[in-house]
Amino acid sequence: MKFAHRFVIGSASVVGLLLVWQVAAGSGWIDAMFLPPPTEIAKTTLDLLRNGYQQIPLWEHVVVSVARALVAFFASVVIGVPLGLVMGLSPLTSAVLDPFIQFLRPLPKIALIPLMVVWFGIGEMSKFILIFISCFLSVVVGAAAAVGGVSRARMLAAETLGASRHQIFRYVVLPNALPEIFTSVRLSIGIGWTSLIAAELVAATSGLGWMVMNAGTYLRTDVVMVGILLLGLIGYLLDFAIVLTQRAVVPWAGRDA
Amino acid sequence: MSTPRIEPPIHPRIQLAHVGKSFRAAARADAPNDALTDISLTLHPGEFVCLLGPSGCGKSTILNLIAGFEKPTTGDVLLDGKPVTRPGPERGFVFQQPTLFPWLNVLDNVTFGPRMAGTPAAQYLPEAQRYLALVGLEGFERHAPWQLSGGMRQRVALARAWLPNPEILLMDEPFGALDAQTRLMMQELLVELWASIGTTILFVTHDVDEALFLADRVLVMSARPGTIREELQVPFARPRDIESLSADPEFGELKRRVLHVVREEARRAVAKETI
Repeated sequence: MKFAHRFVIGSASVVGLLLVWQVAAGSGWIDAMFLPPPTEIAKTTLDLLRNGYQQIPLWEHVVVSVARALVAFFASVVIGVPLGLVMGLSPLTSAVLDPFIQFLRPLPKIALIPLMVVWFGIGEMSKFILIFISCFLSVVVGAAAAVGGVSRARMLAAETLGASRHQIFRYVVLPNALPEIFTSVRLSIGIGWTSLIAAELVAATSGLGWMVMNAGTYLRTDVVMVGILLLGLIGYLLDFAIVLTQRAVVPWAGRDA
Repeated sequence: MSTPRIEPPIHPRIQLAHVGKSFRAAARADAPNDALTDISLTLHPGEFVCLLGPSGCGKSTILNLIAGFEKPTTGDVLLDGKPVTRPGPERGFVFQQPTLFPWLNVLDNVTFGPRMAGTPAAQYLPEAQRYLALVGLEGFERHAPWQLSGGMRQRVALARAWLPNPEILLMDEPFGALDAQTRLMMQELLVELWASIGTTILFVTHDVDEALFLADRVLVMSARPGTIREELQVPFARPRDIESLSADPEFGELKRRVLHVVREEARRAVAKETI
């Protein structure tokens, strides 16, 4: 199906759902406290933009959450990619670190929150560490696998052209691994965003996750839904930003030659 | 042309003496795991030699040994009288697949060798342009490899292997993945380049026509474990023309003879597999 067709059909499907929702909630079939109609959510959004939530402007909640996620995310990329590369190249390093990484990776990171709170309190540090660990594991494993994924033929081609071991790493292994590294980075920003909200739900006094949690306890379903929409939208935008970067930096991703 | 003429090497530099190669971990414990036995071979400077044989006979293993990708189990692979230990730019390699680097454009792919060697751009750029023109890719310098057809990619690979001016070009069924017409054009192009540059070429193929059109000398290999079963000089004068050559009764006779040997070996290979 053509992109234009898909777009039209997709848009129509969203509009259709909004209409059904509006009619169902607006006409009183469903209690507006459980499901506020879209018009009310729009009103709440305007109100939050004007007056903020709990004396904190809406944009500040957004900025606080995005900043937490991005700082931890960038730290995990800056440390995780080189470490993953080393693990991919050095069987010894890989053997030393692998047990810990393999244990932590499938572990639901939310389970670490109580420990983080005990160790680092409910300040920024505990949230940073939690998001960092979540992103970091995915980046390390991805980078290590990417290094190992270089085809033997490509390495041999470089060798017959006189490239040294160092040059093969710099000019063949690394660019060859970049697309896959980007994929794992893309995956990790999604994971990071998820962990952020988990962290804010439990231990925070600002941020979108906190706003959603807090509004829930006051039965402000409309605010909860605005928060959910914003979380989804920002998650999508972060992912899209990575995809755009990927296209610009590694246009050869998925191409054979 | 202002570029310096490329001098062909003077001494026979590549020699295989009683080379055998066996691989450990055979698929079946009782299966013979010898890939090659007692291969002796001298390549003369500027010579075009084809290794012809059924699949799995170890033709590619010979190339890999000379390239330094693998070490012989017995015997010696000698370059200038010294055993080959690792790949080097004096032995260019063209693979069956173009094996280009997709993150580099055509020009950067072609100049990969000299750039790794630290040669100044002023020195290799004119040469690279010359090779790109020779393989008919002028104007494609900035293209990405994936924007080119299969035949064009293989021409980039050819220019890339040739630019460092190797003593010998090792070619492992380089046109095997191309369609029939492109393949003929590539064969003609290769012979033209070889005639003007004079690099020694060792070319692996299982196509009798290809071998007889390209080579000065054809080595027909036996089924695994590979040995050189027959060696023949190709008598046709150069420049050869594919169309008139295929009408030549002598070509037909030679082809029939070689084909007979190759088919016999192929049948033996199949028989061994099914035992």
